[in-house]
Amino acid sequence: MTGNVLTAVVVDDEELARAVVKEHLAAQQGIQLVAECANGFEAVKACTELRPDLLFLDIQMPKLDGFEVLELLDPRPTVVFVTAYDQHALRAFEIHAVDYLLKPFSRERFDEALQRARARIGEGTPEKVHPADLSNAARSDWPLDRIVVRDGSKVTFVPLDKLDYVQAQDDYVLLKTPERGLLKQQTLASLEQRLDPRRFLRIHRSFILQLDRLVRLEQGATESWVAVLQDGTRLPVSKSGYARLREVMDEG
Amino acid sequence: MNPILRSRAALGTYLLGWVPVVGLLLGTGMSQGWPLVEALALTVPLAFGGAMLFLTSWYLCVALPISTFKVRNHGVAWTLSALLMGNIWWLMAWGLAEVLGRTPFFPDVVARTRVAWVFFFAMGVLLYLATLALHYLLQALAREREAERRAGDLQVLAREAELKALRAQLNPHFLFNSLNSISALTSVDPGRAREMCVLLSDFLRKSLKLGERPSVTLAEELDILEAYLAIERIRFGARLGVERELDPAAAEVGIPPLLLQPLVENAIKHGIAALPEGGQLRIATRLQGAEVEIRLENPLDPDSPRPKGLGMGLRQVRERLLKHFGGRARLEAEASEGRFKVRAMLPVREVEE
Repeated sequence: MTGNVLTAVVVDDEELARAVVKEHLAAQQGIQLVAECANGFEAVKACTELRPDLLFLDIQMPKLDGFEVLELLDPRPTVVFVTAYDQHALRAFEIHAVDYLLKPFSRERFDEALQRARARIGEGTPEKVHPADLSNAARSDWPLDRIVVRDGSKVTFVPLDKLDYVQAQDDYVLLKTPERGLLKQQTLASLEQRLDPRRFLRIHRSFILQLDRLVRLEQGATESWVAVLQDGTRLPVSKSGYARLREVMDEG
Repeated sequence: MNPILRSRAALGTYLLGWVPVVGLLLGTGMSQGWPLVEALALTVPLAFGGAMLFLTSWYLCVALPISTFKVRNHGVAWTLSALLMGNIWWLMAWGLAEVLGRTPFFPDVVARTRVAWVFFFAMGVLLYLATLALHYLLQALAREREAERRAGDLQVLAREAELKALRAQLNPHFLFNSLNSISALTSVDPGRAREMCVLLSDFLRKSLKLGERPSVTLAEELDILEAYLAIERIRFGARLGVERELDPAAAEVGIPPLLLQPLVENAIKHGIAALPEGGQLRIATRLQGAEVEIRLENPLDPDSPRPKGLGMGLRQVRERLLKHFGGRARLEAEASEGRFKVRAMLPVREVEE
């Protein structure tokens, strides 16, 4: 926040849709539009660099959808979704969006949303990313078909068929593909909830494995097991992980 | 299974129908000087036996339904079975009389029954024919109910398919987004706002009008696509480019109305709208002998996962093709080298009015 003036970013792939928001904002005192973005990449970049107070966010956009954009922002700005689709409303409120504007909307409805946003920002609690919120919200797009990762203002996709395994590292998860490892701020448990359990299995407190990468299991020392992957990587398997693996292998 | 045996209520009603028969037999017997108790002892079991025996007429019903009536088949079968059953019934009466006659109570029953054999035989034939007629009637009623039920089911199915097709063609989000564009233009550029209102009305009017007809010419279908694309170009601006390669020889070919519109909508929604810089939509038609080829192509974002709603749209178009052309139309879709391609091959047909 700069003084009492709020900063806002508008994200929509349609120029005319951005124009409506811009026009309504221009009629307001004490709020300044600092960036206009036409896709998810631009939105992540602008929000990371400019740290706006308020985000007017479309959902269906090129590159990243609105939810993926939010997942990558920390701290998260206060969000008003602006969309023609009413079926995402529940998910939007699960991640504490302050309002949900359905296109087209009236000046009164826009002002109401802005008032709510001001009240939320006035409470002074920055929007924290709660992994639990995200995993709840994720139910509507379960299972995940790609993971988005941000490094600075650069966004990378990890398609799930490229993912060998995931390793927990403190507050981060390491996403391991044949080419590289990418770090993402998320807990292993919340990621696990969004993955299809027929493809991905928690084999250890710190590891989730893509099942078709498994070549064989080897007996380790003292009742423990080791999973050997196609590329020769060896991952520890816990006792409960071993039980889960057996279950899946017996079914298949 | 015999409909009379399907429920206790039906069987009860059927047996009640035999009570007047017992009355008739009793009356006739007594008028011929039979003592009441003797007549009762004979006619009640006899009527019950007849009721059960004549249920077999159901098999004749099933083997020779009335819808295939021929005097040669049905007449002969009915007569022979009625004569046979009349005989069996008379033998049943005789046998029963013999049993009763062995008791000390009815010394004259056998003699009296044998004298009345013509009566028993004739009654047997008539009662059998009556039961047979009843069975044919029940069969006809059951068929009618079944036909009504099926017609009802079919109607529901047809209406559902129609609704689904219409819903697929007029995606409400297209309308909401267009209205939002108009809302933006009213202050920025009122002239274009009006233009967009006209385009939108034009498109809706044409969709409703064409949607009522069983088939339209390819030229009419492409015309409605132009109206649709004009609206989308206002929304997407320079991001949406359109290339056409249309074969004038294919213009008059008949196709189901609004067949291509959902495919173009898919191409924009899942292809061009997902690309920051947009792209070119390609529409090509070509007459090839007795078939017309329609191709749609759009670029794809390599990072996008395969859209979830796409399969359903294609399936609906396929279902409509099947309904319209039977198995003689094909629809192929493939995503390769960053492009999504749909190719439809339709048999050349005249437009149905």
